[in-house]
Amino acid sequence: MTKAIKVGLVGSAVHAPRVPERMSLEEALHAVAMAALRDAGIGIDDVDGIVVASCDQLEGRAISIMMASGSVGGVGRDITATPSASEHAFVLGCLRVRSGMYRTQLVISWSPLESDSVSQAQRLGADPYFHRRLPLDELSSFALQANALEAEVPGLREAAIATARKNRQHGFTAYPEYASAPREAALIRDGKVLRWPITDGMVSPPAFAAVAAVLASDDWIGARAGCKTAWVNGMGWATETAFLGDRDLARLDSLTAAAAQAYREAGVSQQDPRFDIAEVADPTPYQELLSLEALGLCPRDRWVAAAQRGDFAAGGMLPVNLSGGAISFNPVFCNGLMRIVESANQVRGCAGRHQQAGVRTALAHGASGFAMQYNTVVVMGRSAREMQP
Amino acid sequence: MSGTRVGIIGIGQSEFKAKRPDANYPELVREAVTLALGDGGLGLDEVEAVVCSLAPDALLGIGNAERLAVDAVGARNKRLMRINTGGSTGISALAAGHAHIAAGVCDVVLVAGADKVGECGDSQTILNKIWDPTYERSLPLGTITMLAMSATRYMHKYGMTEQDMARVVVKNREHAALNPKAHLRARTSIDEVMASRMISWPIKLFDACPQSSGGCAMVLASESYIRARRREAVWMTGVGSSAESYYIGDRMGNGYAADHADAQALGEACQRAYRMAGISDPAQQIDVGELYAPFSNTEFHSIEAAGLADRGHSPALLKEGWFRLGGRTPVNPSGGVLCSNPIAVTAMVRVAEAALQVWNRAGAHQVKGARRAIASGNGGDHQLFGAVVVEA
Repeated sequence: MTKAIKVGLVGSAVHAPRVPERMSLEEALHAVAMAALRDAGIGIDDVDGIVVASCDQLEGRAISIMMASGSVGGVGRDITATPSASEHAFVLGCLRVRSGMYRTQLVISWSPLESDSVSQAQRLGADPYFHRRLPLDELSSFALQANALEAEVPGLREAAIATARKNRQHGFTAYPEYASAPREAALIRDGKVLRWPITDGMVSPPAFAAVAAVLASDDWIGARAGCKTAWVNGMGWATETAFLGDRDLARLDSLTAAAAQAYREAGVSQQDPRFDIAEVADPTPYQELLSLEALGLCPRDRWVAAAQRGDFAAGGMLPVNLSGGAISFNPVFCNGLMRIVESANQVRGCAGRHQQAGVRTALAHGASGFAMQYNTVVVMGRSAREMQP
Repeated sequence: MSGTRVGIIGIGQSEFKAKRPDANYPELVREAVTLALGDGGLGLDEVEAVVCSLAPDALLGIGNAERLAVDAVGARNKRLMRINTGGSTGISALAAGHAHIAAGVCDVVLVAGADKVGECGDSQTILNKIWDPTYERSLPLGTITMLAMSATRYMHKYGMTEQDMARVVVKNREHAALNPKAHLRARTSIDEVMASRMISWPIKLFDACPQSSGGCAMVLASESYIRARRREAVWMTGVGSSAESYYIGDRMGNGYAADHADAQALGEACQRAYRMAGISDPAQQIDVGELYAPFSNTEFHSIEAAGLADRGHSPALLKEGWFRLGGRTPVNPSGGVLCSNPIAVTAMVRVAEAALQVWNRAGAHQVKGARRAIASGNGGDHQLFGAVVVEA
């Protein structure tokens, strides 16, 4: 029997300039790739392969991976792309290392702002006959999901407001240079309605960012002293069907399925999963709460009390989105990889101003598509454990 | 090294045509999936993960269209991801599927896709949008003009003639006439190719691939699954990829990074696949090639990058009959990309056809005694390359 290869995240970087126009996209990708390699203490010659995730519609290029090839070191290398979800690039990078064919992978994603309308670009993903003329964009799909949840959970709106307030406070602590400012509950509640029941205080406007991670095998990591490593102890990913009318938007079965895969692999109890921190998809606060339920962390009948108690705030029972999440900073397409990198950095002890003391295990969740169609779960730890089949 | 071998246990291809107005995108994917699962003798319940092979969204007019095909591939609440590396997407998707199994995460992975290039209007208008909007998009570049420049460079460097290019077309059409799935199946002659409409010198209409609609799906499985269930299989023994720079200008002029006459990164991809498969002399060890060549001239540098001929020698060897059915190393016995090009799955079809050859199931275009084959894919602006070795 051959030895199962374990994968660790050994380097990462986020590039989020205040004035993105001062740098070309290629320069920005080069900068974030080099920063991630520096964080890992390696050079591009140590990279065996690259997985890119970029969105052609936001980019205005028919095959946007092409542009990255030179700027992230893809020339002469094995470079591939997962264009529907940034978190899938992380998954594929891990699979490639675990396959034994590669020792290391550079994973990179970005979310450009050149498109005249992010909403119109997203609308191209709706089926041309039924949904596109609604018109449907991701925020309206999240609002439909929020309405479905409000119909089932009494008091949910207050829990959503508390969640938005929490993440904005977290974001201001973590990244005051670019996160949205904190906002009082009353201002969130009475803010401008973008898509009912979502107000402008519950989301952040689309932003530019690029994010990169360096993955490596256990043998590679073992041969280098002092690698700050977040071990990928479990990984799962699953999808919902596309047509919103075919779904119960108040449930997220695919996330439950993805969590089951990841927890099984990591040896985490599916009935009572426990982590030191979590970074979960939060395009709006309603999605954060729905995610916590599907991840087995908080059933809906406890959302209101937990949000009001601050269970998921810094210093709470399970701090969620200490980075501020997408609610405080929203690089639309690469939010999933951002959540994974933030979780990993908490485990590695290098999260910065929002570092939680003593993090040994972390959960990351990324979601993509209308009403969170794709869901990916990653369980990370300071120590590696044997993978469960 | 995990050591998990990956086998191919099911293959499904639709018939490739100019248009498929009877089927929308998910239905076309489903058609291929049904054929592949039927071929492998298994049901959707046995599939643990799906890799969607979908190239530029704009060809379908739907962003991330694979999301609409989740039910068509039976992936609800299952693992699914999409791959896009342009024309090489199909082979990159298979490489991703291979990684799922080699990593020990899954035993059965479905790789599936479809395209409706024939119904997109004008693929060249869309493909112009792959280039940088500031520098190269406005030239205007298309995949035809891009590879016409490669042809002129190859002519200058190695002495290829337009008749040499026409000879590739005649050979591949001869092969496609034997392949019931192929889009262009009419035999042709050198004179007919030479008389066809000039598109971008020296590429004429008959030197160019068609715009095809159709789907392809393949079922991959782990060796342990295959052995335990006594499945018939052929094996993906080598997988490799490599890339060139984005800018066409980097492949021309003084100090170029790679010569536009050749397919440097395809050579690197093939070498990686050969190294993994333990192949040291492909010209001797490979029985058949299914090489991605959308224009007649590009078949020559693909043959050379795959190590089936020395650089610059393939036109002369083609003239001697080396690469036709019955020749020393048949190349594109299916008719190749020149006769069918449903872009999202074109490179997958190369591997599917290579697998059918070493499985001895290729029908009228079977290469006798084929045991080991090389398949390749090219994507982007002749930039992103993949190669797979398939063995019986």
